Amino acid sequence: MSISTGPIASRQESSVSRLASSILSSVARRNLRQILLAIVLPVVVIALWQWEGNGGSLFGGVLPTPDRVWHAWKVWAFGASGLSLNPYSGTWLANLLFSAERVGKGFLLAIVVAVPVGLAIGWNRIASGSLDPTVQLLRPIPITAWLPFSIAVFGIRDMGAVFLIALGAFYPIVVNSAQGARDIERNLVRAAMMMGAGRWTILRRVVLPASLPSIFTGLRIGLGIAWTAVIVAEMVAVKSGLGYVLWDAYYVGRMDVVIADMATIGLLGLISDRVILLIEQWVLAWRRLQSFHS
Amino acid sequence: MGTITFENVSKTFSGQSEVRALDGINLAIGEGEFVALLGPSGCGKSTLLNLLAGFEKTTEGILLFDGKTVTRPGPDRGVVFQEAALFPWLNVWQNVIFGPQVQGVARADYESRARNLLKLVGLESFADALPVQLSGGMRQRVGIARVLAMSPKALLMDEPFGALDAQTRLSMQQLLLDVWQSLGTTVLFVTHDIDEAILLSDRICVMSARPGRIIRTIPITMPRPRSIASLTSAEFVAYKARIMSDMKVGAASH
Repeated sequence: MSISTGPIASRQESSVSRLASSILSSVARRNLRQILLAIVLPVVVIALWQWEGNGGSLFGGVLPTPDRVWHAWKVWAFGASGLSLNPYSGTWLANLLFSAERVGKGFLLAIVVAVPVGLAIGWNRIASGSLDPTVQLLRPIPITAWLPFSIAVFGIRDMGAVFLIALGAFYPIVVNSAQGARDIERNLVRAAMMMGAGRWTILRRVVLPASLPSIFTGLRIGLGIAWTAVIVAEMVAVKSGLGYVLWDAYYVGRMDVVIADMATIGLLGLISDRVILLIEQWVLAWRRLQSFHS
Repeated sequence: MGTITFENVSKTFSGQSEVRALDGINLAIGEGEFVALLGPSGCGKSTLLNLLAGFEKTTEGILLFDGKTVTRPGPDRGVVFQEAALFPWLNVWQNVIFGPQVQGVARADYESRARNLLKLVGLESFADALPVQLSGGMRQRVGIARVLAMSPKALLMDEPFGALDAQTRLSMQQLLLDVWQSLGTTVLFVTHDIDEAILLSDRICVMSARPGRIIRTIPITMPRPRSIASLTSAEFVAYKARIMSDMKVGAASH
């Protein structure tokens, strides 16, 4: 923050770096055991799947075994050596980036619209009365129901996917932002008014920071929905990305690519959620301390 | 500067059943006076303070601050809340300069003053601590410093030491006496603690509940400057005996 100067600022930086290093060291300590615990279940499942599949009876031989999935994934990622007619060869990164870019655009669009709208709904009675009923009316319509609308309006293009992602992520962010602004401690607002803050200042310097924990809850739910939305959109409304490959591979009977694709989506979702979590821990450092002390 | 006038002020909270929180309040507080509102919980003393702060609107009557009708909160009336109500995401320094900052005061004009205030309340080495890292008493010190940073004409204090342990409370009372004696700001102080009211104030308004009324006004003429040592003086004990019997009268008549 740009508020303090001189010795205060440097002390502040050192406290931030102390906090960062304490987070890192506690992460390192817990890391090994947590990783070991975390991988037990997946390893067991994959081992059983491999063992069962080797007998050739897995779902009537429909599902490829993990080693075949792994091989397909490698070819998809790095291409096959020698002559290959495999249409997926070496296209993994490109498709991953297509999807990630759409999620990024749609998610950012959702944040930019949903956070201000949500705060306004939670903070202002007129905004709440005029916006909230419409939001609640549209919210039950699943994003899949918006597919024909999206294709009709945007065609088979990126914008359709971005629209669906933004729409899907919009609702949880708007609802949680509104909740955060609604639940704000009354005396914090009174204190700000008493110190001469106007409505905009209160919104920016009190309501927004007080709502951030709630907003981040909305962001994490919204990001999950964004990944759902991108896959749905790509299966129908565009011709690239992980969702497109997923459906395409299914049509040509490449279940190994289908499963590799699913795993890729899972990993990307997990990683992007962790990124949000890290940002949250950084932005809400004051809250972390709060939960340590209470 | 800092005069307060309540003329026949009443406050009714509407809802499922109407509650008459204050009824026919008449109270005039002069510049630099320290007045305590003393009464049991639910007697409307906090409501009275909230009206003056501008957090609530009067139902009837006239409420003036410096001769002008109170319409909304403002930095001329600094409020100290019971639970401090600091912004948990700002450190001590940022909390203290919040008032001058949002009022658009230039940094050069508030910085040295804010530093002196931190020193005055004994928190100069906690400038970068977050509220959650402080004890209740320290948080309340920040609450006082951030209000003083705005140079208010009056301090409105709503049971500011009510949640503190006995020892911290004594040291906070001493701090407030010292601060008030050097600044001479008008203070309206809400409390349910008889000792605290006698020790600090020039005048005690004893309130009764349902509807909230001022049933008795008692001038406290103990010499100043006072300190927590005054708590054991014969004069103090005499005041306390009188107020205790007054409050029993108030309870018996309702």
